[in-house]
Amino acid sequence: MMLLRLISWPYFRKHILRTLLTTAGIVLGVAVFVGMHTANQSVLFAFNHTVDQIAGKTELQITAGETGFNEEVLETVQGAATVAVAVPAIEAVVDTGIAGAGSLLVLGTDMTGDRSLRDYDLEEGDDAVIDDPLVFLAQADSLILTKLFADAHGIATGSQLALGTAMGERRFTVRGIMASSGLASAFGGNLAVMDIYAAQKMFGRGRTFDRIDLSVREGRTIAEAQTELRTLLGPGFQVDAPANRGQQFEAMTAAYGMMINISSLFALFIGMFIIYNAFSIAVTQRRSEIGILRALGATRGQIRALFLGESAITGLVGSAAGVLVGLVLARGIAVTIGALMRDVYGVAQRADDIASDPLVLVGALLIGVTTSIIAALIPARQAAAVDPVQALQKGKYQVLSAGESRVRAVAAVVLAAISVACLFTSQSRLVFYVGYALVVVMVLLLGPLLSLGLSRLLRPVLRFMRPVEGALAADSLIQTPRRTSASVAAVMLSLALVVAFGGMARASYDSIIVWMDGALNPDLFIAPSQDIVIRTLRFPPEMAGELEQIDGIARVQAVRNARIVYRGTPVMIVATDTLSLSETVHATPVAGDPSTMWRETHEGRGVILSDNLAELQRLTLGDLFEIDAPHGVIRVPIVGVVVDYSDQQGTILMDRTLFEHYWHDDTINVFRVYLQPWAQVPDVKARVLERYAGQRQVFVLTNRELKDYILRVTDQWFSLSSVQIAVAVLVAILGIVNTLTVSITDRRRELGVLQAVGGLRAQIRRTIWMEALTIGLLGLILGLAFGAVNLYYILQIVHHDIAGMRLDYVFPYRVALYLIPTMLGSAFVAALWPAESAVRGSLVEALEYE
Amino acid sequence: MSDVKIVRVPLASTPRRAGVWLVVCALLSSLAPHVRAADNARQIVEESQQRTQAASQRYEGVLQVFDAKGKVSDKRWMLERLGSHGASRMVLRFTQPAEVKGVALLVVNHPDRASDQWMWTPAIERDRRIALQDRSTRFFGTDFSFEDLEERDVDQYDYALLGDDSLDGVAMWKIQSTPRQGKSSQYTTSTVWIRKDNYACARIENLVKDQVVRRLNYLDIQNVQGIWTAKQLEMTDVKRNSRTRLTLDKLQYNVPMKEDDFTLQAIRRQ
Repeated sequence: MMLLRLISWPYFRKHILRTLLTTAGIVLGVAVFVGMHTANQSVLFAFNHTVDQIAGKTELQITAGETGFNEEVLETVQGAATVAVAVPAIEAVVDTGIAGAGSLLVLGTDMTGDRSLRDYDLEEGDDAVIDDPLVFLAQADSLILTKLFADAHGIATGSQLALGTAMGERRFTVRGIMASSGLASAFGGNLAVMDIYAAQKMFGRGRTFDRIDLSVREGRTIAEAQTELRTLLGPGFQVDAPANRGQQFEAMTAAYGMMINISSLFALFIGMFIIYNAFSIAVTQRRSEIGILRALGATRGQIRALFLGESAITGLVGSAAGVLVGLVLARGIAVTIGALMRDVYGVAQRADDIASDPLVLVGALLIGVTTSIIAALIPARQAAAVDPVQALQKGKYQVLSAGESRVRAVAAVVLAAISVACLFTSQSRLVFYVGYALVVVMVLLLGPLLSLGLSRLLRPVLRFMRPVEGALAADSLIQTPRRTSASVAAVMLSLALVVAFGGMARASYDSIIVWMDGALNPDLFIAPSQDIVIRTLRFPPEMAGELEQIDGIARVQAVRNARIVYRGTPVMIVATDTLSLSETVHATPVAGDPSTMWRETHEGRGVILSDNLAELQRLTLGDLFEIDAPHGVIRVPIVGVVVDYSDQQGTILMDRTLFEHYWHDDTINVFRVYLQPWAQVPDVKARVLERYAGQRQVFVLTNRELKDYILRVTDQWFSLSSVQIAVAVLVAILGIVNTLTVSITDRRRELGVLQAVGGLRAQIRRTIWMEALTIGLLGLILGLAFGAVNLYYILQIVHHDIAGMRLDYVFPYRVALYLIPTMLGSAFVAALWPAESAVRGSLVEALEYE
Repeated sequence: MSDVKIVRVPLASTPRRAGVWLVVCALLSSLAPHVRAADNARQIVEESQQRTQAASQRYEGVLQVFDAKGKVSDKRWMLERLGSHGASRMVLRFTQPAEVKGVALLVVNHPDRASDQWMWTPAIERDRRIALQDRSTRFFGTDFSFEDLEERDVDQYDYALLGDDSLDGVAMWKIQSTPRQGKSSQYTTSTVWIRKDNYACARIENLVKDQVVRRLNYLDIQNVQGIWTAKQLEMTDVKRNSRTRLTLDKLQYNVPMKEDDFTLQAIRRQ
């Protein structure tokens, strides 16, 4: 501690800017980690909060995935010996039409018994404020709003509010206002409550409920109730605590969480190199100081502890600042993630508050400090190894010795061999990840050698461009490979991340486009909600016949899709007339005989799985596939595997007759409509809208509009990764600034001499600029090369562990081309300030330096 | 029992039976001092029930809800009941205000178990079953609960005579009724005041554990077609400090009615 106060603190104060830059690396790394995790957690927390608040005193919920079930189930549940109160519920997310209000979550429930489970906490503390409970039930337009929503939009009891329903836009009358607590705080306050039977009608649910909320009879346990209800209802129903919905939401968004983890780790990893670089430089600069300390009796252990202590403090300060910045970032990111959850998963959620999990915050602090200490381990070891006598001599201590270079090269070759073996000799995912880690280590080992080699190769080019400045810049890099290589490594890692994500995005887009062209080829798509993934509004089956009557329509395919729980994971069922589908879809199956699989599926003798579901659930053609449905267990073979991106967790394609039989549900989510050859899309679209004007809420999307929608959602999916990548690049740029600042400080006397003998300020500037551009170029070359390898690993992870998507390896040339000016431009910008500081300092002081 | 003197008051002097909760009251044999108190109480209630027997009943009810702040809301309904007590069926259809017109409640009473109840809402053309679990909830914002709409049968309770009492100077029997096992009720016990002069029920206090939660007063007792009937019922929710007054207009007994009109299909039709 004494050494830290007497030695380290003055050094930090003297090099305040560099200290700040070093800390900034950790700040950014930790901020990204905290920001992304906190935002993700906030959305999850908001979802759980909504579930909790809506659940009220509910101890168990009965669901059948998203499909809902017939009303009769309620009587069975209410008749169970272990059940005290059982109340049905349905939920729908609707558009309010109020600018800036967003969606409204409508909870339909049976108000006669519901207050046993939920506290509506009505304004003025009494349900007399539902102006009249009988009127509320008698009128289908009755609505209770939260005070938060009502106040925000100037709504009072008696006001009318237009909402999009299955029957078109309908005006609802506000007949109650809930105080802003408890239930009213669910869904960020954008919650409305209405009578469940009115809601069934308004949202086209027929005689079904989404779920039943229940409390357990006094003296009976939740486990007893679960057992009784599972026996009574059969395997097609889930009887779980409300919290289980949060777990399902988490499982559904697992792919996204994994993406966040990978890029957060990369950001921290890059930050580590900034620290490493800063400490390596500090050790170099403080050699004489270390020598004096050693001469005065300081042990190697004390020197090592001194540097590790410094790094720990840097890590702690940087991490603490990173946590704060991350929390600020989280708010903005949460909004984006919330929108993503709605558009990708169809689960609308608002995260208005940031849920900072102490575990994440403490974890981030620990990771930041640990990263910092790990980064300083090698410099600390080097500092401890300094010989007191040699320390006072000037030498080329930044140079790599031939022995060290050889050891690095041999180690890299060995690691390369092991990582290749990991790829081809084992199916184990652990072995695969070990191989991936070894590749990263190998690249880092080779980094300094490659930097040195490339610098030497570039020297003639630089000299050719600017004989003096070019040679000086190249020599500076060649003579200090350690300092250079850490910055280059930071740039390289960030670019490898960019290339991998860019390549994955490109491959995903390509694959999705191929799928869309083959499978999404109807001329029109007709949905009850403008968000095609929102499945809470549905059409009645008779609409198919009505549509077929419209002039210009040749074929109508009714599609019912809904999430169910398969092996604990929410997956999507797509039920349609599979024979009709086979006549229109043009795609080669991944597995299965196209001449038989559609017919077998149509006859209910099989199901077709999406490739990603088969991969994630380790299923293959011919396997017996079991689905627990509300009206029995479906046991049919898998007769085909096709590429389908309808859902990230996978799709089960079955015939609608099979679905109707096992779910007793004939409602429709979307109609796929093919036109007569002579019909014009705008004309038919207009006719459909005209046909249902004032009767139903109908959104007609053209083929182009749907594809654009899907691509827009895909863009959204990758947009957050782009933010992380941008931060990673920023961290890398910080590394360049840091290196150049140190380089200039180190060469202050050299630069001063140059100026003293007639060197122009412009020449000094150009020297620094060229040095920076060269670091950028080295990072670019190595980053693109490592990125090519990294992309392979990321695609494998996406295929086997994240989304089950089989993506083709295509190097993202466009991204690479975009990176060249970006990185060189960034390197140049990073060099501007160091270059100015080099030429504007006092010449006398520069010559006195050292 | 041979010593028990059953005093039969003429039909024109029996308690009311309003359809809405009309508990029961009952029978006597108070003039036999050696009869055990429990038997005595039951007989009083039996007699009270006996005197309310009618083949059918029809009236127009005016419902006024007075909340704790003095706000009053009015509604009107038409009630028809076929049969009496344990085996009766009742249809209650709101007629005013316009927003609730047509909303109907069908109650099918059973002598051996809780009634079945359905509500019909014409605006959404849907009926809904009022689950047993919901019987303790308030009946559409009034101070009555759905359970209070049931016609209870004398056999569903055990009775104990608590003694004599007087209300407004009228002599009463004060009887405690306790639901028998199997009879689902939100109330632990009820205390019933029955007039000695005509066996009309004058007050019921419903208790949860030992706390009075609801109090029903039978007011303006008149003889209608030989049945002593309270033309006004006032239910007070003790905890909420609110009350609901039901006034019976155009009350008629033994009106010809068809059984088919007391089904779920029938209330959907009308």
